[in-house]
Amino acid sequence: MTPDVLLAARGVSRRYGTRIAVQGLNLELRRGEVLGLLGLNGAGKSTTLQILTGVLAPHSGVVKIGGHDLARSPLAAKRHVGYLPEIPPLYQDSQVDEYLRFCAELHAVPPVQVENAVARCVNRCGLTEVSHRLIRNLSKGYQQRVGIAQAIVHEPSVLILDEPTVGLDPAQIQEVRALIRTLGREHAVVLSTHLLAEADSLCSRVVILHHGRVVYDHVLGEGGRSLMVGFSAPPALKELSQLLNVRSVSMLAGGRFECLTDDLAATAEVITVAAVNRHWGLQELTPGKTTLERTFLELTRDHQGLGEHQ
Amino acid sequence: MIAVVFKHEVHALFRTPFAWWVLAAVQFLIAYQFLAQIDIFVQYLPKLRGLAQPPGVTQMVVIPLFGVTALVLLFLLPVLTMHSFSGERRAGILRLWYSAPIRLSSLVLGKFCGLMSLNAALWSLNALMPLTLLWGTALDLGTYTGGLLGLFLLMMAGTAIGLCFSALSAQPATAAIGTFVSLLVLWLIDWASQFEAKAGLLSQLSMFTHFQRLTRGLLDSFSVAYFLLITLGALALAVWALHGDRRAL
Repeated sequence: MTPDVLLAARGVSRRYGTRIAVQGLNLELRRGEVLGLLGLNGAGKSTTLQILTGVLAPHSGVVKIGGHDLARSPLAAKRHVGYLPEIPPLYQDSQVDEYLRFCAELHAVPPVQVENAVARCVNRCGLTEVSHRLIRNLSKGYQQRVGIAQAIVHEPSVLILDEPTVGLDPAQIQEVRALIRTLGREHAVVLSTHLLAEADSLCSRVVILHHGRVVYDHVLGEGGRSLMVGFSAPPALKELSQLLNVRSVSMLAGGRFECLTDDLAATAEVITVAAVNRHWGLQELTPGKTTLERTFLELTRDHQGLGEHQ
Repeated sequence: MIAVVFKHEVHALFRTPFAWWVLAAVQFLIAYQFLAQIDIFVQYLPKLRGLAQPPGVTQMVVIPLFGVTALVLLFLLPVLTMHSFSGERRAGILRLWYSAPIRLSSLVLGKFCGLMSLNAALWSLNALMPLTLLWGTALDLGTYTGGLLGLFLLMMAGTAIGLCFSALSAQPATAAIGTFVSLLVLWLIDWASQFEAKAGLLSQLSMFTHFQRLTRGLLDSFSVAYFLLITLGALALAVWALHGDRRAL
């Protein structure tokens, strides 16, 4: 294991009774990486995260955090992990700063540094105004932020977040994403989500889980985005593809085309200008599915039907 | 690490009105009992004088007081302990403990010591009130100390049993019922001994027997060991139950 690899999982499996939750999972995470764990409901995302944090023991396989084996020296390994579960583990009757002080102590922050650590993460998570309020009186968004603060108060090298933006309003989602992006520069972050756009905008790497297996593990930033266009007087496919410097154009029914491009804005501009000049009658111009979305849907297609998973 | 858990538990316990209500209610109950017993004692005093070995004020007033507290504990401890693990499991807070660098044994011991802080406060109320009698009369300090020891050991054993059921169950109410029934059975098991020829064993299993022995001022090491064994056994079982949450079966 190279020193830069902060988290490594090899051959991790876990069953619940006879149901397989995770099977043969391999993961490696380096400093500065934000890894998005995607999957349908019941694909094994939360189980994976619980195994990575030591909340659940795997049936087989090894998890190493900061070089420490989670099964052999759990205390040393857990010092390097910050974990935000799906439901933030908050003591509702505590004040925010009091709760964070307790979390710092629990994660073995030396007593003289506790106040500093709390002040730093209160500041980072934008909790300064509410730091003396009872957690039960905070809005869902603030509670989620306290949950994130709890996970970073001891400056862990690995940060594990289970659906960090769930239940937040759009403004809060933006704030939390910005926070995760900042954290991702110094820590290694694993986050689970079923929002593909979130993974697209936040993560440097994406792993797709399906039936507890890794079916996709790729660095993002490759591929492109698709643009859906529709015309009342559609041009020939050839004309359009010659006009555009794009990867591919395919014709759909009803005068609609799907263009796969690297630069969404530039392509849209070219199409708009051409449509006006050549009287194509532009009716639709919308961003289509991203490559990630296509891949995801393709890989998880066999269980698009509802009710297959819990 | 035990100290961190202990501090947190004490904080959490005394922040809510629950602990203060409990203390106030128990204080009211034992004060009432205390005055009633004194009243009875004074009424019977002339008759008692005629006996060869009359019971003193400690037997007549102080020990019944401890008896009332013991009875209150039977109902109180299940409620006090039920949330410790099963409530936190429901609220998803146990994951905070499980992902933290702390041993489960430290967690259980820390919680146990935290709950014992409220018990200790109750115990002090019981210890202090009889001392007021020292203004007017002498106390049998041996019996008094024995009774207090018995009460404290009872609190330890009951709290440990409560924590054990709380660690085992998914719902606080289930934990409370489990604890209550166990305590009741351990308390009353010697009833059967009245009808059986070989009653020794059952009576030795009964908390009541051992509690009574201590309140007679009999510092019996067997009785002390009995309570300590129950405490340690229940705490060990609680640690085992918590391990079950993460274990791969």
